[in-house]
Amino acid sequence: MRGPSWSPRNKAGMERDRRFWRIVLLTPPLLVFAVLIVWPLLSSFYYSFTNWNGFSSNYQFVGLSNFQKIWTDRLFFQATINTIIWMVSALLLPTLLGLVLALLLDSKVRGRKFFKTIFYLPICLSAIVVGQIWIWIYQPNWGLLNTLIEEITGDRFRYAWLAKPDSALFSVIIAWSWQQTGLSMVIYLAGLTAIPSEILESSASEGATTWKRIWYIIIPLLVSSTTVVIALSLINSLKGFDILYVMTGGGPFNSSDTLAMHMYNESFKKYLIGYGSSISVVLFLIALIIIGIYFRQLRKVDQIYG
Amino acid sequence: MKYINRRTLLGTLFALAFIGLTTPALAQSEVTISHYFTGELGLKAFGEQMEKFEAATSYKMKNSPVGHEDFKTDILVRASGNSLPDVFSYWAGARVQFIADSESLKPIDQMWNQAGLDKIVAKTVADSATMYNGKRFLVPFNYHYSGMFYNTKVMADAGITEMPTDWNGFLALCKELKSNGITPIALGSKNRWPAQFWFDYLLLRSAGPDYRAQLMAGKASYDDPQVKQAMGMWKALVDAGYFIESANANTWTDASDQVARGDAAMTLMGTWITGYWNGLGLVPGADYDFFPFPSIMAGVPSASVGPVDGLVIGANTTNPKGAEEFLKFMVSDTGVQAAWSKAQGALSANVNVDASNYNSVMLKAFETVKNSDAFAFNYDLATPPPVAEVGLSMFARFMDDPSRVDEIMKQTAQDVAGAFKE
Repeated sequence: MRGPSWSPRNKAGMERDRRFWRIVLLTPPLLVFAVLIVWPLLSSFYYSFTNWNGFSSNYQFVGLSNFQKIWTDRLFFQATINTIIWMVSALLLPTLLGLVLALLLDSKVRGRKFFKTIFYLPICLSAIVVGQIWIWIYQPNWGLLNTLIEEITGDRFRYAWLAKPDSALFSVIIAWSWQQTGLSMVIYLAGLTAIPSEILESSASEGATTWKRIWYIIIPLLVSSTTVVIALSLINSLKGFDILYVMTGGGPFNSSDTLAMHMYNESFKKYLIGYGSSISVVLFLIALIIIGIYFRQLRKVDQIYG
Repeated sequence: MKYINRRTLLGTLFALAFIGLTTPALAQSEVTISHYFTGELGLKAFGEQMEKFEAATSYKMKNSPVGHEDFKTDILVRASGNSLPDVFSYWAGARVQFIADSESLKPIDQMWNQAGLDKIVAKTVADSATMYNGKRFLVPFNYHYSGMFYNTKVMADAGITEMPTDWNGFLALCKELKSNGITPIALGSKNRWPAQFWFDYLLLRSAGPDYRAQLMAGKASYDDPQVKQAMGMWKALVDAGYFIESANANTWTDASDQVARGDAAMTLMGTWITGYWNGLGLVPGADYDFFPFPSIMAGVPSASVGPVDGLVIGANTTNPKGAEEFLKFMVSDTGVQAAWSKAQGALSANVNVDASNYNSVMLKAFETVKNSDAFAFNYDLATPPPVAEVGLSMFARFMDDPSRVDEIMKQTAQDVAGAFKE
């Protein structure tokens, strides 16, 4: 059998072919990325300086007036506070609960494989399904939560968790954390397997209590897992629109609006696309700052722990 | 491994481009449509009416239904992407006005006149629902009436034989029901809009249709004594415990179920509730009935409230002829109109539809609208969308804590004034 011919002319031809196929194969994903991500992003920036209502082709440039309006929009400030509450809670609750569950399941608890599966299951469900499940749990007349409270207290209890402004946002945060905890737990469990058992055994033989071992040995050695958990929780919390949309839609009367929800309502319910775009620009800048801070901290952690 | 050579690839791309270029020519016989009739009965019935159109003409319908609430967003997204369907369903009133102002609709005056729709469409509906900025844009497909729907057995068990016609009679009815251990009124305001009918009727019956029209157009304020009076009457009903607990936690179907089960006696809702209840096996007249919202002030014209579902044509339609044919057929064909109104629990927009097609409750609704002095669109269709958003939130906020009514109304007046400037 004759081998391939390696003349310089053939080599140049093959290189040309490779370049051609590289372009051909890269073009579709780049086009999709440009059309679905880059173009809408740039469009949002553009429309944030207009008074476009989404329907009309006759719209005007209004300069910075949409951004000025943000400062007088009380719902924007309420949404900002809710966004901070949402992000901090969505970061802390699943992280802490995931760590506690991982520590419990890493010990020799009977049926830990079963519990691992149970705790991980919610992450396999879509946010819409999780939202619907929790709507049923919170249902005031026959929901699981109120029924449970009634069973315990013996009194009639009909609190409408999702319909009251004081509890709506926190009720959604609990549903969100319930789903996300499984992910943190699995990452921490993987991190725990990487901790050498000799260190834990020697610290135990030198009289370190369980609490001291967790605080001074396990948690510091789980720093890389924590980094991953925080990164994922942060990204997921920024994306956490769907569950809020399903469970409260920002209601009752805007009390659980986050910035993303406020942007959606202004754009698609009030038909103020220009103003909605300016909110999305502010949201984009906030996300950029948070991610910037996160990467800076990540570098510091890398420098300390290698 | 066999490579595709460049010639083959380019040849394939050219072939695909050719197919793409020739497709619009083939699509001339296709009419694209998007609509919000997605309830189990509505979706099936609308599909059947489209089949009748296809059978009667050479056109094919390409259907893309979207859920009622999602439709409000979906149609905006499609408009902003300049990809509106040839035909879409829409709510007559401020919403059509909004897109007509944006020049996103095709006028249908010529088709309307040629088809003689003036003689086919009910005049009260045609006058209020089809004209915008001096041109005709919408063909009414059906309309609804909002009334006080009640459980006949619950009323009979409480010894109530006569339904009230005035406000004092209504208060006495609520008192009687409550003393019998029955919650008089169910309301499911989770999605906010079901609460609007209370505001609509209280204001219409106390301040009259002219004042309400001014308020809806931004020529009156939510701080006015007329609005305060209407809200005061609403508050008195809530304070007396006549409304069911946690209205904001329930949807309109939850409230309908509460009445159907007898957990509450009545609910203020549109005639679409009849389609829902009939689907549950309730018998019109025997299991449920309705009475018109009682009069409050003597001398105030009686107005009926409800939405008109219409069909409109996108300004950039690629098949205007097919789209117009479809609109004409759907309102003119009495078979389509009769079947549709029956399935949807709606009133027909076509005056030639035989009234015997209606059940006893729908016939009563038809007569009530016919004998009304005016027909008014419900709140979220009567005022521009940015204002409607403020008002709908106000109703839900009020239902959550009526004791803060003054503060709520003050805030609403400010927010509405801002929204009218948008």
